[in-house]
Formats: sequence, structure tokens, C-alpha cells
Amino acid sequence: MKIEVLYPEVCNLFGDLMNVEYLARCADAEVIRTSLKETPRFVSEKVDLVYMGSVTERGQELARDAFAPHLGALKKRTAQGGVTLITGNALEIFGEYITDDDVGDIPMLGLFPTHAERHLTRRFNGMFLGKFEDITIVGFKSQFGHSYGKVQRGLFEVTRGTGLNPNEKWEGIRENNLMATYLIGPLLVMNPHFTKYLLKLLGVSEPRLVFEEASLDAYNQRVLDFSDPKRGFEY
Amino acid sequence: MSGKSKKRGGLRFWLALWAAKLSVPALKLTGHAATNFPGKVAMKLCPGFLSYMAHPETVIAVTGTNGKTTVANLLLDTLEASGKRVCGNRESSNMYSGVTSALLSSVSVFNKCRVDAEVIEVDEHATRLILPDMDPDLLIVTNLFRDSLMRNAHAEFVASRLDKNIPKGLRLLLNADDLISSGLAPENPRAYFGIEKLDTDVTECVNRINDVRVCPKCAGRMEFEYRRYHHIGRAKCVDCGFASPDYDYSAKVDKSTGTMTIRDASGAGTYRLLSDAIYDMYNLVSVVGALRQLGMSHEDIGAALSKVKIAGIRRDETTIGGVRVINQLAKDKNSIGCSRVFDYIHSQPGKKELLLMMNSLLDEGHWSENVCWYYDCDYEFLADPSVTHVVCAGPRYKDMKLRLLLAGVPEERISLERDELRASELLYMEPGTDVYLLYGTDTTDTMLQVREHLADLKK
Repeated sequence: MKIEVLYPEVCNLFGDLMNVEYLARCADAEVIRTSLKETPRFVSEKVDLVYMGSVTERGQELARDAFAPHLGALKKRTAQGGVTLITGNALEIFGEYITDDDVGDIPMLGLFPTHAERHLTRRFNGMFLGKFEDITIVGFKSQFGHSYGKVQRGLFEVTRGTGLNPNEKWEGIRENNLMATYLIGPLLVMNPHFTKYLLKLLGVSEPRLVFEEASLDAYNQRVLDFSDPKRGFEY
Repeated sequence: MSGKSKKRGGLRFWLALWAAKLSVPALKLTGHAATNFPGKVAMKLCPGFLSYMAHPETVIAVTGTNGKTTVANLLLDTLEASGKRVCGNRESSNMYSGVTSALLSSVSVFNKCRVDAEVIEVDEHATRLILPDMDPDLLIVTNLFRDSLMRNAHAEFVASRLDKNIPKGLRLLLNADDLISSGLAPENPRAYFGIEKLDTDVTECVNRINDVRVCPKCAGRMEFEYRRYHHIGRAKCVDCGFASPDYDYSAKVDKSTGTMTIRDASGAGTYRLLSDAIYDMYNLVSVVGALRQLGMSHEDIGAALSKVKIAGIRRDETTIGGVRVINQLAKDKNSIGCSRVFDYIHSQPGKKELLLMMNSLLDEGHWSENVCWYYDCDYEFLADPSVTHVVCAGPRYKDMKLRLLLAGVPEERISLERDELRASELLYMEPGTDVYLLYGTDTTDTMLQVREHLADLKK
């Protein structure tokens, strides 16, 4: 199995890259790290999973410029069922534009019919409890804004917490097997059932997780914690 | 009125000053600590209170991600040891209200300044109001790293905020080995401190966080001549030539003698190291650089520094039942701070046993701690065979265990117990193995209780 991480020199915030490390260990996969100045490998060869993680605001523009020539290849990959995972504010790179309080509109790649509204003076922090099919998802959000627009299919249904924006009952965006979510950090470490789903999607027939027992133990505790109605969900 | 103030105070200021001052004994009488409340009173009655207050001729502000408390306290101690009357926010917060509370004692009821120097530690975000109101003579920025992601997002973001907040003309003392903070407020007058190449330096990053991988100017690839940890070191862009600035205060460390020689344009002095931790070496060179900026001689600085030590609450040790027990602050939600501590512990000689209780109790009280920072933090250092046992405690103990396993710590070396006191009973406490109690900002009291509990168990 091959996993390609796009632009890890800038898309590396909040422990997001542990998602790839964890998945690679679970599936004994090869990890390809593609820098801003390289052509992504998925353009010319079979790559099982393409991943991009949370990024600085400057990094969003660097990643946009680096990826723009390959957007067509991603569209083709997605239409053919290729698996892509995008976490944190990397999601915003694939929207139409970002509106920044100071800078104004910053054009993005336009894959999703969304735009992000960024307020650097107001950081949004929250916990997330949701559903992916019958799997309970837990996670954290920490971002400078939300995304708006008509999304055909969301990724996670919101049980508690905030979706793509405060009025949206879906978190993230899904197009075929391209999954984008604002959830940050070690999403796959924290969600063992979802990780198994992803491994199956990547062709692993009977997936086993590294440190599965400890992962389930932490996950079950968190599901319990996040289901407690007394807990606040926005910091 | 003696001392300098930016503005002349009117009735609101005098009312605020007197009310805030009166609140101090009132709080003490009612058994409360006068930490931030007097400052809040002053701010409420007179916004911009600090700009009306009289300040001494010497005012130093210290900010940055790590080391600012240590540097500010060392400066206060050193100036005091050299015979100056000083005031600073040791006991209160590094926000506007905390600084105001702390500085109330530096003026009389007639706003007469009673000290020779003020040294204040300032939260990076609080610089927006504090710096223009206090108009310090010097701002030290120790470094900029990733910090609490919920508040600070990432280091570039904090740098962009500081760039906006630093007043024009304010003299800066910056870390030349930090390519994030060394570029702050490029129009301001500045001096740089740094540490020359060490035997332990590397060129490739061994840490999870490696933040200056692309050039801040052209996004080209950065190549490190030497690197201490994370992005700290000397680097150059292979594309545009942008490089780390030269040192004005250049430190050469001699670990064999436990000293550091600091050279500048007009001389050199040799100083006893505060500890063998690299972050303490940076703390020392920044303190000496600041005092040199004030015009003190190397001899006077050395004499004063020889009388001071790092405040015990951040790192202290005792012996319990024949075992060396070290309590060490490892700030929760601060991945770099914890990584530095883990690195330091793993590099110490002999066997070590750890009790991890760096939980954000404040977050757990209402929400649940965001543990993403665990995965930015170098828990891998604890996989070293010299770390023979790690006990995870507190609300996030299960998350800690999972992170330790992923870092390569064998499961048989990990123990779990949510309750911190009961967790401390799981420590082996074997003579010859150092025991580290790692606590965060919210668990200082817990650490003290644990230490007492361990002592009781050994009675």
C-alpha cells in the first residue's frame, strides 16, 4: 500500500501527521512525502491514499499554488474512486475562496462549492461528537473560521458540536471517496472504528490496528466523556 | 511625582489607584490572594491605567513562548542582587490585570515611583495593550514556538500578532537562533543573542515539530548549519540566501567547567551555567544580553548572578526514602515545553522513573482537554531504555498511555491510574533511579500533594 502525504513541510500542524504514521503502521504501508516543489506521485502512479493536513495561513497559499496544476488529476482520481483524506483547514484550500478580515478574498482551488470566512482575532475551539454511517466519531476543532456553501454530501453527521459552520448539521465534505474534515490532530488514532473502515476501503480485508486495545480504551472513554450532557462543547 | 509616565492622570486615575491599592489589604484581611483583582479594579475604573502610572527609568518586558518567566525572574533577582530596588509580576499573571496588580506596590499613593527597575513578563497576546501603555526600554523575546494550539494556533500566527503589537522604536533583544522571532518588527532597533555550535548539535531535525522548513522570505528550502532542537539553530535558504542574523551576544558553552563565555562588541564575561539544560543556557544568555544593554559590566552581572538561582517551583528536587525525587514543570498543552523536558530527562545519566500528570484540569472541569498536542510532542524520548517506568495519571491517562505506546515505550513499562495520589503509589521508588514528577500549570498543587504523599508513605 502507498500513502502520499502532500506538502508535509507546511501541512503539518496539530499532530495531524500522526494519522498517516498510524495508518502506515496498521497497514504496513509505504509513505511518500511530496514537497511543494515536487509533482505529486498520484498524478503518475497508483497511490492508495492521498493525505493533506492542517496548515498555516501562509501555507494554505503555498499549498494552493503547488497543487493547482494537479487539480484535474485529483478530480479524475476522485471520479475513479481514489481515496483522499484532508484534515483541518487544508479543507479550505479546496473551496472557492477564503475571506480574510484583513486581506479580503483569497482565491482557492474551487473543488468544493464552498468558501471560508476567516477571522484571525476569533479562534473557534470545540469538541465534536458525530456519526459516520453507524460509527461514532469523536474529535477536536480549532480554527479561525468556518466554511459556507451548498455541499451535496457531508462527511460526519453532527450529534454534538459544530459542523462545517454553526448552522450546518454535517461536518466536512465527502465526494465519492474524497473525505475532507475540519477535525484536527490524530483523528485516526482517536477513532479506531473509522480507521478500520478506511483500511477496508483501502483494500485491507481484515484490518487490525496497532495498539488496538489501548486505542479502543481511550476512544470508549472519550465517547463517554463527550456524551455527557454536562460537558461544554465550545471552549 | 518621580519616575516616568506616558500620560498625566486625572480624577479617574487617582480613584483607580487608591481603590486598587485599598483592595490589596482588604483581600489579605479576607484571606484572598491579591493576584489579579487589584489590577482589574484599576483597569475598570481607569482604562489604560498603566500609561498613567509612574514607572522607573528602567523598564524591561519579556515575552515569548518558553522561558519568559524564568528570564523575567532571573532579571529581577540579578538586578536586586546588584543593589537595585525592583518590581515585577512574579506572583501574578502576565496579562494586563496581573501586571497592574504587581506594579501597584512600585508607586506610592501619590504615584511616586519607589523602585529603580521594573521587569515584567508579558503574555504574547497581552503585548497589544501592555507595551504601548508601559513604553518599556527593552523588549526581550525569548523564542517563538507552537504553544497551546487552541489559543495560539501556530508560531507564525503569534509572530504576526507580535509584529502588529510591538510599538515603533521599541528596542528589541531577540534570539538569533530562532528564525521565527528573530524576524519580528524588522524596522525596530535590535540586538541578537545566540549560542555558538555545541557538540550535541545536529543538522537534521529529530523532533516532531520542525517549523522553519521553508524560507520565511521565498518558501525555498532551508538548510541548517547546526540545529539544537526543532527550528532552533543557524540556517540559510538554499534559494535566496536569507539566513540567521549574526550574534551581538555570542555564548560559547564549556560543559566541562559548567560555564558559558559571552562575548559582545565591548568585552566578554564567563558565567556559571544555571543548569545543563539548553533552554537554561538560552535563558542565561538573554539575561546577560539584557543587562549589557542596560550598561552593566560583565563583572557586575557575574557577581550578581552568582547569588541567584532558578525559582524552585519550576524544577526542584528532594530526597524521599533515599530516592532523588525531582518535580519538574512540563506545561500541559505546550508540546515544545514538554518535548524539551522529555529530551532533558532522557539525556540525564542513570535510570529514571516518571509520573506524568500534565493534565489541563481547567479544561477538564467543563469540557475535555484537546489532546492533539500529544502528537506534536516528542514522547519518543521516553522510549529510551534508561526510562524504566512511566506512570500515567489524571483525566487523560488513557490518552497518555496510547501516545507512549505509539512512541515506542514498551507496554510493560507503563502503569495507569487516574487518581494522582494512588498513581504515585505505583512508583517503584528504587534507590538509584531518579523519580520525576511532571506536572502542568493546573496541577502544581497536585504535584505538591503527591510529593507529600510519597514522603508520608516512606515515613
